[in-house]
Amino acid sequence: MSPMIVPLGHVFVLAGVIFSMGLLCLVAHRNLIMTLVGVEVMMNASLIVFVAASLRWRLMEGQAFMLFILAVAAAEVSVGLALVFSLYRRTGSIDPDTYDILKW
Amino acid sequence: MTPYAAIFYLLSGIILAATAMAVTRRKPVHAVLYLVVAFLGTAALFFLLGAPFLAAFMVIIYVGAIMVLFLFVIMLFQPSLRELGRLPQWGPAALLGVAFLAVAVVMVLKDPGSGMVLQGAGVKPRDFGHFVFDRYWLAVEIVSILLLVALVAVIQVGRKRGEDSAGAEEE
Amino acid sequence: MTSWLQDPSLAATLATWLPFISFLLILIFTREHRRLSGGIAVAAVAGSLAGALFLLIRHWGDAQPIQYSARWVVAGSLSIPFGYLLDAVSLTMLFLVAGISLLVQVYSLGYMAGDSGFSRYFAFQSLFAWAMMNLSISLATLQLYAFWELVGLSSYLLIGFWYERFSATQAGKKAFVMTRLGDVSFFIGLLLVLLHIGNSGIPEMNSPEAVARMDPGLLTLAALLIFGGIVGKSAQFPLMTWLPDAMEGPTPVSALLHSATMVAAGVFLFARLFPFLSRSADAMTVFLAIGTVSMLLASTMAIVSRDIKRVWAYSTISQLGLMIMGLAAGSLFAGGFHLTTHAAFKALLFLCSGVWVHRYGTNDVYEISGRGGRRLKIPMVCLVIAAAALSGLPPFSGFFSKEIILAALAGLKNPLWLAAGLIGAFLTSYYAFRLVFIILSPREEVREESGHHEGDAAYWVMGVPLLILAGVTLMLGFAVTPLREFLAGSTVHPGGNDGWLFYISTGLAALGVGVAWFEFGRRAAPRIGFVERIAPLRELFAQRWYLDHLYQWFVHIVIDRVLSRGCTRNEDRVINEAIDGFCRFTLDSGRVFAFLQSGKVRYNLMVMFGVLVLVALYFLFA
Repeated sequence: MSPMIVPLGHVFVLAGVIFSMGLLCLVAHRNLIMTLVGVEVMMNASLIVFVAASLRWRLMEGQAFMLFILAVAAAEVSVGLALVFSLYRRTGSIDPDTYDILKW
Repeated sequence: MTPYAAIFYLLSGIILAATAMAVTRRKPVHAVLYLVVAFLGTAALFFLLGAPFLAAFMVIIYVGAIMVLFLFVIMLFQPSLRELGRLPQWGPAALLGVAFLAVAVVMVLKDPGSGMVLQGAGVKPRDFGHFVFDRYWLAVEIVSILLLVALVAVIQVGRKRGEDSAGAEEE
Repeated sequence: MTSWLQDPSLAATLATWLPFISFLLILIFTREHRRLSGGIAVAAVAGSLAGALFLLIRHWGDAQPIQYSARWVVAGSLSIPFGYLLDAVSLTMLFLVAGISLLVQVYSLGYMAGDSGFSRYFAFQSLFAWAMMNLSISLATLQLYAFWELVGLSSYLLIGFWYERFSATQAGKKAFVMTRLGDVSFFIGLLLVLLHIGNSGIPEMNSPEAVARMDPGLLTLAALLIFGGIVGKSAQFPLMTWLPDAMEGPTPVSALLHSATMVAAGVFLFARLFPFLSRSADAMTVFLAIGTVSMLLASTMAIVSRDIKRVWAYSTISQLGLMIMGLAAGSLFAGGFHLTTHAAFKALLFLCSGVWVHRYGTNDVYEISGRGGRRLKIPMVCLVIAAAALSGLPPFSGFFSKEIILAALAGLKNPLWLAAGLIGAFLTSYYAFRLVFIILSPREEVREESGHHEGDAAYWVMGVPLLILAGVTLMLGFAVTPLREFLAGSTVHPGGNDGWLFYISTGLAALGVGVAWFEFGRRAAPRIGFVERIAPLRELFAQRWYLDHLYQWFVHIVIDRVLSRGCTRNEDRVINEAIDGFCRFTLDSGRVFAFLQSGKVRYNLMVMFGVLVLVALYFLFA
């Protein structure tokens, strides 16, 4: 009676593609804001995985976990943005390549 | 192809397109806006996957609060920084991304359980609420403490130099 | 009770270790009390002499040597014992050493009176006596080597006794280093023997079975190496220049160590290992050659020397060479008997000279004669007696022993050795009587205060040993036959051509005396020797045939410039550079790899995700 949707693999592939795009955004941009955007995209992908898995096994834990991930994402984004802003105030730049005092 | 499958592919197309645009924009504001679209698509996907309550959460919390926060912080920067050059040095990153994607796809496709077709279902908000507070109330409390800690951290990190705790607070 | 007394161990131990106790006592307790120190030392040596005499008399006619050995080191198939061995040679040597030590120490009581290092002197004398006596009765070669080194040490201490004088310290160092060179070769030879025979006991070494285990080439090599030690210790060519310099020490030291006992240790070793060493005919020829060369060289050096002690030092080298010639010619008795007689008359010569040195403060013989040396009767008479013995004039003891050596040399195939021996005899009597006549007939008589101090205790303290030694010199010659039986066992060397040899050698000795009288003794004598007229020859002899110069050159040029600079350069340029280069390589390679640390976050993130991909691959395929 319950309708069929798609094979699980397809959902996972979707999530994988989104994740790799987020990865690209994370490492390729010279802007810290974009780095955080990439993190958000990756989290989006993980949320999709969790919900799909919860549907596959018919357990509500997946959805509960999605809630927690959301909360954590909120906390992390706020702290991350605060840090970026503080860095900007200190050095006047948000290009991560300029923060290289740990260079040999 | 059931109609649900068609909806799924449509939604996934939207999400992918929006994410791709978000990743390749030069201006962060544009990127964030495209990201909003992607999240909205994700919310719809959740509806399809049987979690309407969570879809609402996505829209309210993720898009409504977090992306707005992004925009606020971006506005705090000088306008010169809101412009970026062409995406520099995207070679190694692209390589990495492609490699990662290839591996992920292969992994998924090789797994025998991935052929299983999802069956539609729905979770009522009331049941979901009962479930969370019945089984995972401790996690909820901890998450709330986490948010408190994040709040304190943001306040502390965001202070201007030279301010003391008794002075006026900046957000 | 009687058996305990008759046990030789007690006497042997007591005899040889009493001086050590004296050494310790003096060094630790009685350094401030001079007379007590002197008394302790003399008493100890007197005790040793008593023990030695007792042993000598008791074991005079023993067929078998008495030995006592305890195991010291046993390692696998090697065995190194220690203990004592009392056979004819060692008993004679023990008695000789004890006797002359006692006489010299009594003499020193007078000679060294008033010196600030009086106690130290007697401590070192006791040390030497202990070491030398133990050397004489050592059972094993390594034990002997230990005491050999100790004797060298006490020689160094006594030569440099007046250490405030730079020349004395230099002489002590030179003696030690030169003998050390000989000792190194000695030790290597000993080790060779030990490794092949497996036991370092002397009786084992001398036995025929042991020798059969070593092949002849190795035997010759070992013999030559051991002889290296003898060359060093007995001041033979080429390690001979330390002995004249050793005269920097006090005269009693020269009398005891560097004429009678320590330098005789080399000859004693030869006698000890005579069965072993004589098995290699080639080695014996080499020994003969070295002995001859030393004898002749030293005699030439003695002819032109003005320093009275130096003359006797050269004479010692020469006489030791003669002893070695006798031993190397195959006659144990020849060398051994001459060792004994030489000890007596050479010590006498030194002690007499010491009286003059002590009284006039100078070593120069012309000065001694000029200040009236001949008026001291006891030294003068004893000097003449001893010089006659040295020259080999009958009926003194030296005559008998020299005859025997010459007879042994005559028994060799090559007449060259005998000729060398005869020339040596002529030169010996010439230089001995040159000195005698210089002192006997001075040119200018400087009126010294003629106090003979006959009533002085010091006079008699120094005089009595002289008289005793003179008596020995006179008498010892007549003890040939019993001594021959004692030392050489029952083998008696055939007389052969004793007749004409006797006349020739005595004639040559008399000729030497005559020439010396002609040049020095007559009233109108020119007082210049026939060699001294030839300036280049005189220079050659006076500079000790430029041996010292050779050694200096060798040390400075070869060792210092070539070897040590080469080693230093090697260390700086090769070893240090290699290590520095290694460090530099490490630093540079670190610098090369440091470019990976760009400090950029993005690259770190990329690497992180790259690793993640690899881990995923692993889980995919594993």
